[in-house]
Amino acid sequence: MTATEQHPRHRLDDLLQNPVRFSIVAALDRAGTLGFREVRDAVEITDSALSKQVTLLESAGYLSVGKSFAGKMPRTSLTLTRHGRAVWHAHLATLREIAGDTTP
Amino acid sequence: METTPTITAMEARRLLDRADRVSRSAHNATRWPYITFILALGVATSMGTFAMALTTDSAFGLAYFGTLFVMFALLIFFMVSIQGRSAFSRSRRWTGYIASWFVTYAAAISVVIWAHGSVLLAGIASGLILAVAFVCAAREARS
Repeated sequence: MTATEQHPRHRLDDLLQNPVRFSIVAALDRAGTLGFREVRDAVEITDSALSKQVTLLESAGYLSVGKSFAGKMPRTSLTLTRHGRAVWHAHLATLREIAGDTTP
Repeated sequence: METTPTITAMEARRLLDRADRVSRSAHNATRWPYITFILALGVATSMGTFAMALTTDSAFGLAYFGTLFVMFALLIFFMVSIQGRSAFSRSRRWTGYIASWFVTYAAAISVVIWAHGSVLLAGIASGLILAVAFVCAAREARS
């Protein structure tokens, strides 16, 4: 095993190193399920930027996207999947390791 | 070839702080109507079913219609307050909370119908509604 392989930063998830995707998953961590607008407000980005990142996270299996209608208005909900939660917690654990904090 | 960017301990701590801040603010901004609703519903239906189980005639009618009125008022408050943040109401977690409350409420209504006047059974059934509502609210508040 080389010194490069031993460094914890190599265990960080590639998708979650993007600050917007990091914030989207962070917003969903406690809440579990949020509406599109709720995530947009929490992360403070535009609809199109959020939509683009959500598509990436959904295709990676981190999020599931639900569609429904309230009258004629479409409603989109975002839910952190079990896989997404596991990856997120592993990512946070690695960050804690890098930060020198061993508490969970 | 080295592709993973270097991340310092300070940057890692900053990211952890950001994750915690975003997570808390998203949760706090959207969950208070749900926590308030399940808590108030639990208290109202617990007291209502306890009163219904132990009263007769006009006192029973007052307890019955009083409980119904409070339930409808809570429902209206809930529908209005979750406008624009209703995604959680379709989640499995919320469905689980409401299903848990409904099971205990059905049990308490069964006591009202089939064991009317039993202080012990009414106390247990109504206490169960309260306990389940408190547990659901506490779980959501701490999640």
